[in-house]
Amino acid sequence: MTMPGRLAGRRILVVEDEYFIASDLRRALGAEQAVVIGPVSSLAAGLELAERDGIDAALLDVNLEGDSSLAIADRLAARGVPFVFVTGYDDWALPDAYRHVRRVPKPFAVPTVLDALDQLLASEERP
Amino acid sequence: MRMEPRDETSLLATLARKNAVLEGINRIFHEALTAPSLEALGRVCLRVAEDVTGAAFSFMGEIDRATDTLDEIAISERGWTAFEAAKSDWPRGKVPTGLTIHGLYGRVLREGRGLIFNDAATHADRIGTPAGHPPLASFLGVPLHQNGAVIGMVGLGNRPGGFRDEDLAAAEELAPAIVQALRSKRAEMALRDSEEQRRLTLELVPAMLWRVDLNGLRIESNQQWHAITGQTDEQASAGGWMELIHPSEAGKVTRAFRRAYAAGEPVTVQCRVRQAEGGYRALLIRQVPVRDDAGQITHWLGAATDISDMQLLEERQRVLVAELQHRVRNILTVVRSVFARTVEGGESLDDVADHFRGRLDALARTQVSATLNASGTVDLENLIRDELLSVGVSDGPELSIAGPDVALPAGAVELLGLAVHELATNALKFGAFRSPGGSLSITWDVNVDGRSARRLDLRWTEQGVPAVPVGAARQGFGTELIEEALPYRLGAETRLEFRGGGVRCTIALPLSGDEEGA
Repeated sequence: MTMPGRLAGRRILVVEDEYFIASDLRRALGAEQAVVIGPVSSLAAGLELAERDGIDAALLDVNLEGDSSLAIADRLAARGVPFVFVTGYDDWALPDAYRHVRRVPKPFAVPTVLDALDQLLASEERP
Repeated sequence: MRMEPRDETSLLATLARKNAVLEGINRIFHEALTAPSLEALGRVCLRVAEDVTGAAFSFMGEIDRATDTLDEIAISERGWTAFEAAKSDWPRGKVPTGLTIHGLYGRVLREGRGLIFNDAATHADRIGTPAGHPPLASFLGVPLHQNGAVIGMVGLGNRPGGFRDEDLAAAEELAPAIVQALRSKRAEMALRDSEEQRRLTLELVPAMLWRVDLNGLRIESNQQWHAITGQTDEQASAGGWMELIHPSEAGKVTRAFRRAYAAGEPVTVQCRVRQAEGGYRALLIRQVPVRDDAGQITHWLGAATDISDMQLLEERQRVLVAELQHRVRNILTVVRSVFARTVEGGESLDDVADHFRGRLDALARTQVSATLNASGTVDLENLIRDELLSVGVSDGPELSIAGPDVALPAGAVELLGLAVHELATNALKFGAFRSPGGSLSITWDVNVDGRSARRLDLRWTEQGVPAVPVGAARQGFGTELIEEALPYRLGAETRLEFRGGGVRCTIALPLSGDEEGA
């Protein structure tokens, strides 16, 4: 489970087109005292938020109302922001270049997402 | 040719006839090259035979071995004219077939030698002429031989003064030439038929086919390569076709062909080829060596099949499966969230079960209706009536529904359906359908804003409802759905008021330009 406080104060971008899922994520992150950037549901809004400074990590839904969020992933990668895919896609539906990205399959339990984020941030902290 | 000249005059006459026969043979072989049909060639032969014998008309026929009857190949021009003069109703140009072998011409065929009957009208073996046939005074027949067997005959009729031995001799000299001309015409036509059939076959096969020489340089194709790439055989030859292969695959294709030519083995390679109108088509290319009896490669035959559509279908299927998976998992996640929110309301287990079932059913209805038509759109009025019906409300004086036809985009159906479900359930439990004298009006219209984007404006107005406390749980989920989820997911602007007289809700929902509507 989450190490106490690791997410506290961290700025987490959430891009997810399904309201209920986005809302669950926001609540869960809020409970961990993380700062939620977003959530937003569209590719355009996601790309815009990805340019913001101070984002520590991101949760990305791969399919946004039919658009792929991979462009956001590319932008975040270029800026050195780690991210996790939250997706209903099997591995094979993702291009090879993204196979190494951590994934949380839908439907998910909230602790699974928090765990994934926690590990992502932990590996960032290591020099 | 029999030549027994008695004097100088007849020697000259004999030479002239011999010359005429040679000229005639020359004419026959010359015409054989250009005659469009066997019948046309037959008419040329008969014309020559008439010219050298002085006959008034003639015919030519061959034996049908299967039925032992005579099929005429041709009747001469003069013959047809004579038929017309005799007021024959014989259709011109249609030569008779299946004639019994008998009478004077029968004797020529049976005996296999040339015969003259200058008493044709009275000869004991005559069978008479058929109706419409010009009267026959004299007759000369010569058999046509091939490989020692009689295959047919030429019959000449009505030489003024009767036929002479030299006429028979001339006709007999023409006969082998006629046989030869007919044979080569037949062979040529058969070849043309098979060539034509081969050409048609190549054009019919929905694939690119070609023949290429031993060195893989000169290409002859069935034109389908040209149809797709715009490249002529000449341009494709000498490696020209390689220029159309997608640059990223040119190396692979070159290597495969080089290997095949070196080893004399078949080659199969898949690659993209540039089309005439731009873009690439995926082709499956095969080429095999053709060997002679000694096993030496004489040339290569190749075929290419366009597999672009197949690849497209495979890709589409892959996308569909991925999309289906995405949707299934998404809806399960939504169901999980709806369940969590329903439980959070803190109601009794019965109420939770009741509310959850209602919401689950509403989700299920929207899933079904969104898959009913190909575009995935759903008629707004149907969606509203379905939800009202699900809580037991149908037409009545307390209900009015009015608005133009609107095809809701597939993506909006789920949430809007849930929203209407929440409003309808609330109206049944606490609002317009619970209070005597309460009424509900649902109206909508489609408006175009300043940027010419279409927008649905939906109004849900309850009246005549005494103010009652609103259930916290219902307010929780329904309110969140309308005030948060619709704006978040659909970009809608919403307003929900619980006020004296009943609930009032407005939803302004952007419709994409492609969707059909009022």
